[in-house]
Amino acid sequence: MNRMWFRQLWAVFRLEIKKSFFSRRGLWIYVLALMPVLIFIGHAYVARRDAARRGNVVSEGVTREQLHSIKRGMLKEQVLAKLPNPYNQRSIETRGGLREFLQYSSMEEDLTVRFLDGKVVGLQYRGECSLEKDQIIFGTVYQIFFLRLAVFFGCVFVFLNLFRGELLDKSLHYYFLAPVRREIVVFGKYLAGLVATSVIFSGSAALQILVLYMHFPKAMLDEYLATGHGWQHAFAYTGVAALACVGYGSVFLLAGMIMRNPLIPAVSILLWESINSILPAALRKISVIYYLKSMCPVEILSNQDVPPVLALLAVNVEPATPLVAIGGLFAVALGIVAIAAYYSRRMEINYSSD
Amino acid sequence: MILFDDVSKFYGEVLGVNRVNLSIPPGITSLVGPNGSGKTTLMNLMTGLLQPSRGRIEVTGISTSDPERLFRTMGYCTQFDSYPKGFTGYQFVYSFLRLFGRSHAECEKQAWNSIDRVNLREAASRKIAGYSKGMRQRIKLAQSIAHDPKVLVLDEPLNGLDPLVRSETIALFREFAAEGRHVILSSHVLHEVDIISDQVILLSGGYVIAEGQIRGVRGEIEDHPMQVMIRCRPGKVLAARLFEHDYVVEVKVHADGGGLMVKTKNADSFYLLLNRLAIEGVPIESVQPADDDVNSVYEYLIGNEEAAR
Repeated sequence: MNRMWFRQLWAVFRLEIKKSFFSRRGLWIYVLALMPVLIFIGHAYVARRDAARRGNVVSEGVTREQLHSIKRGMLKEQVLAKLPNPYNQRSIETRGGLREFLQYSSMEEDLTVRFLDGKVVGLQYRGECSLEKDQIIFGTVYQIFFLRLAVFFGCVFVFLNLFRGELLDKSLHYYFLAPVRREIVVFGKYLAGLVATSVIFSGSAALQILVLYMHFPKAMLDEYLATGHGWQHAFAYTGVAALACVGYGSVFLLAGMIMRNPLIPAVSILLWESINSILPAALRKISVIYYLKSMCPVEILSNQDVPPVLALLAVNVEPATPLVAIGGLFAVALGIVAIAAYYSRRMEINYSSD
Repeated sequence: MILFDDVSKFYGEVLGVNRVNLSIPPGITSLVGPNGSGKTTLMNLMTGLLQPSRGRIEVTGISTSDPERLFRTMGYCTQFDSYPKGFTGYQFVYSFLRLFGRSHAECEKQAWNSIDRVNLREAASRKIAGYSKGMRQRIKLAQSIAHDPKVLVLDEPLNGLDPLVRSETIALFREFAAEGRHVILSSHVLHEVDIISDQVILLSGGYVIAEGQIRGVRGEIEDHPMQVMIRCRPGKVLAARLFEHDYVVEVKVHADGGGLMVKTKNADSFYLLLNRLAIEGVPIESVQPADDDVNSVYEYLIGNEEAAR
């Protein structure tokens, strides 16, 4: 590349970066990116509130074993015989009968016992937050919601619009009427989209981690960061978000150039990525999510609390090594951007057909 | 020269232009034809926005598939009335100049120069979205001339301009042409084409049906005898002399008796005859061709085809 090409690349980048970051139509991407942050703020708030309450109202002498000795179908008297001192109780007269609630708390766990006409009909346990549990929660939200939906649809919008948006706005010809190689236009646009989405989604991942762990005691956090792979996990998650933008970005850049209806590639690729876990090994590797899952540091399957359907989405049989995953993703992305650049040389401006 | 060598363009099965062979010299060249005749297709082919299905195009020796070289010498003011969102007039011109790889200072200077040339300095810091149609047309023109191109292609450039700006813009085109550059424009306003063009290219149904200087094109239309208006008193005397020649096919004496409308199959011989008669003492006051303008040529060549459709 000569210096002129670099200057032109920079000019394309400058034009595109503003659009990618501040498009009025794209404000919902920020909502999508910040949604998990809000979820974890809520989680941190509840965890703090529970911890504070436990400190104040721990039911006298109640142990975790006693809490788990309560079974459905027991009578209220039997429950009170085992656990005589709930920290909270209330009752409601309904059409179906008398509903009562008893709440207990040990140091590690809370229990709400629901009665209907004096019989236990429901038990709700809520354990104390731990770093291990929160890692699983984060990993699940990250893999199921953040990567598969937030980053995916964020990339759909930003990268599809790089060309498709300008074709619809009838302004792409300004690039094609400048003395700049079309490959440079493609690469400059891709780079701008990549920087914008990476900043938004990696930033969101970093913020999520910060918010998720900030309610833990400082000493525990320090130990986790220093010896418990804390920094490694944080780096991996923010990096995977950026790599997701590299991969999905290239796919949607090309799709925006060759497809008229953006829904078709978006839905097709979403389906393909969703069935990735059940595909044969060779096909599994022709996807972005395969490499991304391989790099996620926490295995969410190890937790029984994760519903089986979600666990299926997260399963990654024979994950790729980090080197293969990163190399594979970059190779795939580079290949697709190269195809896009080649295609751009044959592109025509014929807005009436778009 | 701008060369079209056996160029055809098809949109699927729809014909854009077919078998176009052109050699366009510097000066102002107008593309004239009804809607759908292929004017914009020809311009888009010339600027590489479309690629020919067949044939070859060269602009001053540069292939249209080489944008890196082509657009250093060419500017194209398209008919699309669309602009990048949120830009002011200045930002629009400046930003696209940056794509040339030039420095900030250079682009800034060139952007203001071209904005000044279209008299839009006062509005340059306002958003294009708030411009009138005429202002949008002018900022688009400023963007296409900002890099001082040697070939300027303009699709309906006078659309939406008020009479004053229209005449200023025409003066700008003339200035470009006078410097030996190519100015190629399309227009529906035939009398303007007639005034500003050095040559015309007439298109119909995707075919070039005539090209060259307008009088030359008119002379080649043999189906329609040339019409000449002559002021002469008494008109009847001259009419009698003209009828002695077989290339004069019709003479109408004006109601006031002081003029004639003559139709002739051979304009050259007819003008020689008039010279001779004037020398002999026939009192000819003025001679004015009545139908060697674009309007008449358009009517003769394309009007009939349109009527037949």
